[in-house]
Amino acid sequence: MQKIIRWIVLISLVVVALAPILPQFVWSFSHRWLFPSLLPSEWSLEPWEYAFSTSSRVGEAFISSMAIGIVVSLLSIIVGLPASRALALYDFRGKSVIEWLLMVPIIVPGIVATMGIHQVFIRLRLTDTFIGVCLVHLIPCIPYMVLVMSSVFANYGTDLEDTARTLGAGPVSVFRYVTLPGILPGLLVSTMFTFLISWGQYITTVLIGGGSIITLPMVLFPFIAGTNYSNAASISLIFVAPAILVLIFTSRQLGRESAVMGGFGKL
Amino acid sequence: MRFLTLMEKLRVPLMIFPAVALICVLFFGGLTVGLGQSLGYFPAIGSYNLTFQYYSDVLTDSTFFESLWLTFRLALLSTVSSSVLAIGIAMVLRQSFKGSRFFTFMFQLSIPIPHLVAAAGIVLLVSQSGLTARIAYALGLINVPRDFPVMVFDRPGIAIQLTYLWKEVPFIGVVVLAVLQGVGPQYEEIARTLGANAWQRFRYVLLPLIMPGVLSTSIIVFAYVFSSYEIPLLLGVRYPTTLPVLAFKNYQDPDLSLRPQAMAMSIILTVIAVLLLVIYKRLAKYAVNS
Amino acid sequence: MFDMKRMTLILVVLMMLVLSTTAAQDSDELMGEVPGYATWADVLAAVKGTTVNWHMWGGSDKINSDVDNDIGARVQELYGITLNRVPLVDTADVVNKILDESAAGVTTGSVDLIWINGENFRTLKDASLLYGPWSEAIPNAKFVNWADPSLAFDFGTPVEGYESPWGHAQFVMEYNTALVGDAPPKTFEDLTAWVEANPGLFTYPAIPDFTGSVFLRHVFYWAAGGPEPFLGPFDQAVFDQYAPKVWEYLNALEPNLWRAGETYPEASALTDLLANQEVAFNMGYGPGNAASSILEGKYPETIRTFVFDTGTISNNNFVTIPFNAPNPAGAMVIANFMLGEEFQLKMSDPALWGWLSPISPTMYSSDFQAAVAAFERHPATLSTEELAAGALPEPPSAWVTAMEQGWVENVLQK
Repeated sequence: MQKIIRWIVLISLVVVALAPILPQFVWSFSHRWLFPSLLPSEWSLEPWEYAFSTSSRVGEAFISSMAIGIVVSLLSIIVGLPASRALALYDFRGKSVIEWLLMVPIIVPGIVATMGIHQVFIRLRLTDTFIGVCLVHLIPCIPYMVLVMSSVFANYGTDLEDTARTLGAGPVSVFRYVTLPGILPGLLVSTMFTFLISWGQYITTVLIGGGSIITLPMVLFPFIAGTNYSNAASISLIFVAPAILVLIFTSRQLGRESAVMGGFGKL
Repeated sequence: MRFLTLMEKLRVPLMIFPAVALICVLFFGGLTVGLGQSLGYFPAIGSYNLTFQYYSDVLTDSTFFESLWLTFRLALLSTVSSSVLAIGIAMVLRQSFKGSRFFTFMFQLSIPIPHLVAAAGIVLLVSQSGLTARIAYALGLINVPRDFPVMVFDRPGIAIQLTYLWKEVPFIGVVVLAVLQGVGPQYEEIARTLGANAWQRFRYVLLPLIMPGVLSTSIIVFAYVFSSYEIPLLLGVRYPTTLPVLAFKNYQDPDLSLRPQAMAMSIILTVIAVLLLVIYKRLAKYAVNS
Repeated sequence: MFDMKRMTLILVVLMMLVLSTTAAQDSDELMGEVPGYATWADVLAAVKGTTVNWHMWGGSDKINSDVDNDIGARVQELYGITLNRVPLVDTADVVNKILDESAAGVTTGSVDLIWINGENFRTLKDASLLYGPWSEAIPNAKFVNWADPSLAFDFGTPVEGYESPWGHAQFVMEYNTALVGDAPPKTFEDLTAWVEANPGLFTYPAIPDFTGSVFLRHVFYWAAGGPEPFLGPFDQAVFDQYAPKVWEYLNALEPNLWRAGETYPEASALTDLLANQEVAFNMGYGPGNAASSILEGKYPETIRTFVFDTGTISNNNFVTIPFNAPNPAGAMVIANFMLGEEFQLKMSDPALWGWLSPISPTMYSSDFQAAVAAFERHPATLSTEELAAGALPEPPSAWVTAMEQGWVENVLQK
């Protein structure tokens, strides 16, 4: 009995996971696919030709999205890693205030701070720039990085580092050979999350990028809003591909490393 | 030696400074500018006088409250249903069986997929002329598209919630799984030897262990849905719409005098979000302790 | 060897080249003054190797590729301009951007050219945020009949040289013959009767969507027996005289609309609803849309178009240049190109966009007229004569705003 329930759950899980994605493959090859046809009545490569044409700007947007995602992830690591370590391993006055400061951006709608910062960015000439968009993406990314990594650091003992230090290792080699391998699985997952948060940003990029910085969600949105589902599908699949790749690399960590995902449980 | 102790003292501040500074400047800076505008301090249109006029405008407008209620209802329903489903699926996936790694991967599949893509996929699936409706037509269950239940562009916002469910169930589920992996079988073994049945083992042993994780991921999910813009814009009805959509619509109105109202809405939205978080943490603490 | 014959031939060819270029330059003179440039040759000299950022609605893959290929590639060839098309979801976004930049004192912005009309144009013009006047001075403005009120006024706002037309639009209704038959309801009384007999198969886009908004204007024109009361400056008393009849009509229609009027779709969603038989009607400003959608596979073959017996509203698409455009010269060159014969011919081709031209064909060469006459009309497209016979003017945009607000308060939120 229990086995039957398990298989029902598992099979519906696979169906539900794939149902919104797989039909988009078919849509991306369809020319005419109207109710009530179960399959396109005319097939075509046009949606893919369009996606790969320069007019669609998908290629350009892909590169911008990727560059912004990588810069934002790196910046999040650079500022987020020391902060998470401090929050996890040291007790200091005002710690709970700092924790709150760093967590509030997760709770407060991103659009609120973006609308406010927009005016300042216009004056500083940061709108319409790559840096401006990266900065606004950092608002949600840093908190997620700190949330996950402070949990990782909390589960990570410093004994090994101390031993290495007493054995005469310098700070760089301690980090390189002791700290980094210890936190790497967690770092992978939190970097994946920050990258994906940046990868999926739409309205913040529209507002701060002002049309000069074009990212993938911005080329996709008009086609979904315009119910042009064939083109939406081909662009969607290009948009999804790197995300799935990232998941393949981090899936094991997501599933096994309790401290990492447990980080989300520490808010 | 003196220098070393100074370094020692400065270590923590130096470690947290970059993150705190960036968040303070970008996030709290933005919030402060927004607060200023909501109070009528908006030099760009030559307005410097502080006033609560825009707050009273917003708070006396029934549109605002309809939007607030819709936003809250969508967030609450999506969060509760995601949490329940996530726990259920995690309970199945934690067992070890052949192919469990494959199924775990399938479960995680929607985590990295952008919300926009998910929204498009859900529309294609559940609209009145979507794939499900076409299958229903092929099976003779419906004759015309409008026989099929309304799930897109509807007042209850079913497609919106389906999109969030599809995205957020795995997110909560993965956290629950991670906690369960850390638990190991011994607690349950003890409970079993004490004669607890399956339901009792779940209710009194496992649930208390996973509850903290579920509660805090559900805060994240709640906040996410509460602040969402694209999904209700693409899948929802035109009126009432969610608060972020309403606020941004006012913000982008060519009539710049609507900006302060948009900002007042945002500030109210912020206060509500933070208040909900505080209440939620209190309740969570109470629930976990008892 | 000195080959006299050959030399003469080369000379003749050279002479012809010189003559033809001067001839071309003769016709390409400024017809008035534009800020910052004395002659059209100065303008052309200034644009070589520059980029023009054209902000325009980006929801049609067809328009996107054709703008890049038919305009972008050509202006690169002809003038050395790189056309950078910036896709927008809503033109109001870029209007806002200009307003914000002006408020923050940004004197060199990032927008050169905007596809615009109506309220958005009025907002920018009223705030003095446009470059110009220029549009009556560019060489190809000679083709434009500025005496035509639909070109001299954009939703009642005087154009006065601040925007240049490039496409003409007229409202048409689209219907599915499979659901409606061959006799669509061409009056508002017939429409009510049809909707009551066939509940759930009709709706119109949510206002302030511009398609929903123009449908609403037709109801106002119907209520007043014609467009005349709304063509002058906004008058609250006149508005109040006709508005109740409009709300009454629309609210009576509501229970039998798609979703019982619980919600109204976006214009783009309505297109999809018609395609999939969820509704039987769509509407829009593009008389050629039904034909091109059938060809693109977005519509079934059974879609046709009609206009109301009392006519339908027509207007023009314009391009404008913001005050802080980094490259106004390049923007003018593109606007000028779009008024030329080459582009207007491509735009009118039913196999490409099938748009109407804002220019009377008699202004262009006989080749152009012959080519236009030879276009094969798709069965889903009405003839230009049929359309022109019923063309109605747009009211000034203050009326539009009042009607839209009235609809939100009296129909949507009711």
